[in-house]
Order: sequence, then structure tokens, then C-alpha cells
Amino acid sequence: MSWWLFFAVVMGLIPLVSSSHTLRIFIFANFLAIFAMSWDVLSGYTGYISFGHPFLIGIAGYTTAILTHHLAIPLYLSIPLAVLATMAAGTLFFFPALRIKGTYFALVTLAFMEVTYHLMQVVKPEITGGTRGITGLPLLATGTVLNYYFSLTAMFLIAIGLWWLTRSDVGLVLSAIRMDEGAVKSAGLNTSKFKLFAFTLSAFVAGIGGALYTHYLGSISPRGMFDINFLFTILVAALIGGEHTILGPILGAYFLTFLLEYLRPYVPGAWRFLFYGLIALFIYNYAPKGIYQIVQTVGNFIDRRILGKKRYGDQIT
Amino acid sequence: MGGIIVQGFLISGLYALVAVGFTMIFSVGRVLNLAYGVYIMIGGYVYYVLAQLLELPKIPSFFCAALAGVAFGLMTYLGLVRRLRDNPIAVEISTLILAVVMQAVVIIIFSPAPKAIWPMIPGVIRLFGVPVTWTIFLAMIISWVILGALLLFVQKTALGRAIRAVSMDTKGALVAGIDAERINLLTWGLSGALGAIAGVFFASYTQLDPTMWVFPLIIAVAVVIVGGIGSIIGSLIAAHIVGFLETITTTVIAPELRGVFTMLLIIVILVIMPKGLLGKEET
Repeated sequence: MSWWLFFAVVMGLIPLVSSSHTLRIFIFANFLAIFAMSWDVLSGYTGYISFGHPFLIGIAGYTTAILTHHLAIPLYLSIPLAVLATMAAGTLFFFPALRIKGTYFALVTLAFMEVTYHLMQVVKPEITGGTRGITGLPLLATGTVLNYYFSLTAMFLIAIGLWWLTRSDVGLVLSAIRMDEGAVKSAGLNTSKFKLFAFTLSAFVAGIGGALYTHYLGSISPRGMFDINFLFTILVAALIGGEHTILGPILGAYFLTFLLEYLRPYVPGAWRFLFYGLIALFIYNYAPKGIYQIVQTVGNFIDRRILGKKRYGDQIT
Repeated sequence: MGGIIVQGFLISGLYALVAVGFTMIFSVGRVLNLAYGVYIMIGGYVYYVLAQLLELPKIPSFFCAALAGVAFGLMTYLGLVRRLRDNPIAVEISTLILAVVMQAVVIIIFSPAPKAIWPMIPGVIRLFGVPVTWTIFLAMIISWVILGALLLFVQKTALGRAIRAVSMDTKGALVAGIDAERINLLTWGLSGALGAIAGVFFASYTQLDPTMWVFPLIIAVAVVIVGGIGSIIGSLIAAHIVGFLETITTTVIAPELRGVFTMLLIIVILVIMPKGLLGKEET
């Protein structure tokens, strides 16, 4: 628990030492962390790989965009509505797939994302803004620093909420489902109920992230939202960071975002994805727990050697 | 009306070709190869480079494209899938990452702009009074031929039976003395070839584009879900259902809605008939 506080304080102090430009990178990392966490809640924990998170995020974004832009609904209403819409759309479309098999689920979610991408561009362009999307949306807050704190708070709240959840019984069941759903079922638990819960939670977080992100950017377009590249970024962030953990996606998101910034002057557009992909493949195969594992190892090292904490199995000298 | 029927058959033929390579791996290996769409993309681009940029003769270029598919299929298997065999989740994710990486490679080499392929056979033929391009007619014919040959191969030859054995029960097949590893190599190579061949036609039908690997993947998915795993005939039927659904949608309702009803169909089938039309039992 103390670690959380430590990080909160450190992160809170960052604006004092960073330029506006760096802060913007942090903001993006925070949002990516939120998306990655939402993905991990579903896919990392239950093992049902979702390729459709951009779909959910996009629904959230578009809902709030349309509500605020065309109907002049204020933000504190449109955002919750967007989250509800996301959860509804997700349940409606994904749930049939969840009932069946993990493999099918991945395929179907991918299909959804792709089809929605095309749909959004052509259906009712006067509402959705067609290919170019909608711009000029009301912003959450003006000024980079405020936006930073906003995104940071959102990320922390979500992280803590999810962290607490995974330590609970529900989290245990979800992890068990991933390992062996059959076993969980034979223990008498209704896996569908749990899957639905994980799913709704994931949609909820994705919805919040999507709505907030849209109002941070002030615009939305099909390209940015329903994009394979976006999916890829979220996935890689969660995977590199370490799926099946909560901290992992956050680490992964930060790592990825800063790597991107670092590479930007040296490596043009498409090459970046090449790099991400290769790094992701490498890490995923050789260090499946990702950065989280590395951090954990370091953390353990510090605990034992430096702080002198003993572990249960140690010999008592 | 006649136009819809003719177009429907043509598209369905193409879709069947696209789907069959995917079905094979999915049936045999129970593995989701999301990089399958990449074989299609590679087939299209290799053919483009050979036949159009280098202006080599068409038939050899076509075969080279198929070979490229085989190579890539084998590489996918040997490089990724074989090591991660016990972990289907890892395979799904890794193949997706691979696909995105390949997309990046294609963008780097060819630029993100879509390109049009010159038709394999120029000109138009009238079928029952409906004008269609030679290329797509050829695609349909080749598709039927390949599917027919595949069906015969799988039903009648020893090797084909071996493939079916492995797809039904790997351990059982091993016990019966079948070299499952060889079968896997064969299947993946074949899948790559089929994908690449489908890719040449698919690219002719639409256009070359670094993101072109996604849509065929979805089609293949739809066909597998609707037709059921492990059934080539099921794939054929499903391909026609999907093909006609799309043709009717785009012609009668609205061209922009392409893919929507396919998606809905997937959902409906998953809810009502998760095994698909002719799907075999899940082991």
C-alpha cells in the first residue's frame, strides 16, 4: 500500500519538473495505461483475448462527442452516458461470443472493430462526421498541467480499484477461469456470470477512458479510434508490461509511450510499428510476464538484500 | 436479379478460396492463425511485383506468389506456432503481432497508398447476360477446382486421411503411426499457398493495400463459424451464404453496409448454432 502512496506523490510532483511537452507525453501514457488496464481486466484475467477494445473505446468517444457536439449536453452528463452506452453496446455485441469459446471471442471482436471502422465512416456522416470525424469538442480542462492531473487521477483511481478487485475473491475466480475454465465450472461456479462481470468492468473502464480521452483531445475520428494500430498499441502495452497484473499495463503503457517519443526523431512512421512488434514478440516469448516481472524481481531483490526482509521459506539463522 | 445471382456465385467462390486455407489450420491445429490474412497480402504483393513491376509472365508470377505463401506459412509455423503450441492465447496474440509487423513492413516497402493490379485476363465476359470481369470468373473457377481437389485429397488419399486424423485427435493419430509433425508442416505450407493464391485474386478484385489482410481474415472467420470447423463442404456452403448475403446487401440495400450483415450473421450463429452448420465435435 505504501508503494502506491509513494508513486502517487512522485507522479504528482512531475509537473514541477517537466516541460509542457513532456507532460503531454505523460498524459498520453496515462490514457494508454487506462486502456491497457481495461484490456487486461478482461483478457489478461479471464484469458478471453479481446481484439475489440478500440470498438468499445470508440463507442464511448463517439457517444460523448455526438452528445456534446450535436445536442449540447454538458460534460458531466455526456460522459456517464457514454460509459453506459459502451457497456450496453459491449454486452449486446460481445456477450454472445463470450458464451461460446475463447478463440471465437477474439475473432468476433476483431471483426466488430473492423466493421465498425468502415461503418463509422459512411453511415450518417452528418452525425458522425464521416471519415474526418468531429472536431471542436468541449475540453475537460484547459492547460496541460490540469489535464495531466486529471488523467493521473483517473488512472490512479482505476488502478487502485482494479488492484483491490484482483485481491478479492472475484479476482481469484477470474484468474482461475483463465487457467482452467472447466475446473471452475465443476467447482460449481457459474463462469458465465463472472465472465460477464469481468467484461462489463472492462467495458466500464474502457468507456471512461474513451470518453475522457476524447474530451482531452477535443476531437474524434474513425482512424484514431477503430484502428488496428490502436488495438496493437494497447495490446503491446499490456503485454510488454505484463498481463494478468494491474501494474503491468501501466508500466507497459509508460514504457511504450516513452519509447515512441525517444524513437520518433530517428525512426519514421511505419518503422515504429515494426519495432514495437518485434520487441513485443520478443518480450512476449521470452519474458511472458513482461516488465512487471522484471520490476518484481528487482523489488524482491531490494526487499531481501537491502531491507533485509525475510521470506517465508528462508532458513532461520 | 440475374446480376445478384451471378455476382453472388463469383464472390462466394472467391470467399471460399479465401476461407479454405484458414479452415485447414484451424481444423488441423485448432490454432487461430491471425497472420493468415498476411498470406493473402503477400500473395497479392508478390504477384504485383513480379507481374506488374517487373513485367514477368503471369503464370510463373502466380506460382511464385503461391511459393511465397508456402514459405511464409512454414515460417509462421516454425518460428512462432510450434514453440507456443500449448498456449493458444499466446498463438493468437503472437500471430496478430506478426500480422501488424508485416503490415508495417509492407508500408515501408510499398508505401501506404493502395495500388491497383492489372487484371490477370483483361476484358469482360457475359454470363447469362451479366457482364463480369474475366479475373473474377477465373477466380471462381480456380476456387472450385482447388476446393474439389482438396476435398478429393482429404477424402481419398492416405495423406489426406492422415490430415483428417490429426485434426480429429492428434494423440490418436500419433498412436496410429502418423507423423503429426510432417502433417503440420504440410498443412501450414498448404495453407500459406492457398492464402497466397486467394490473395492474388482478392487483390485483383479489390486493390492492394497494407491493411488488406484484415477483411479476408474476417471473411474466413465468418465462414469457419458458420460452416463449422473441420468441414470443407461446410466452408463451401458457408462461403456461399456469406457471399450472397454480402452481394444482396451491397446491391439491394446499401454498398456501405458491406460486412455488417456478415457480422450479425456471426453473432446469430454463435448464439443459435455454435458448432456451425457441419461442424465436427470439439475435442
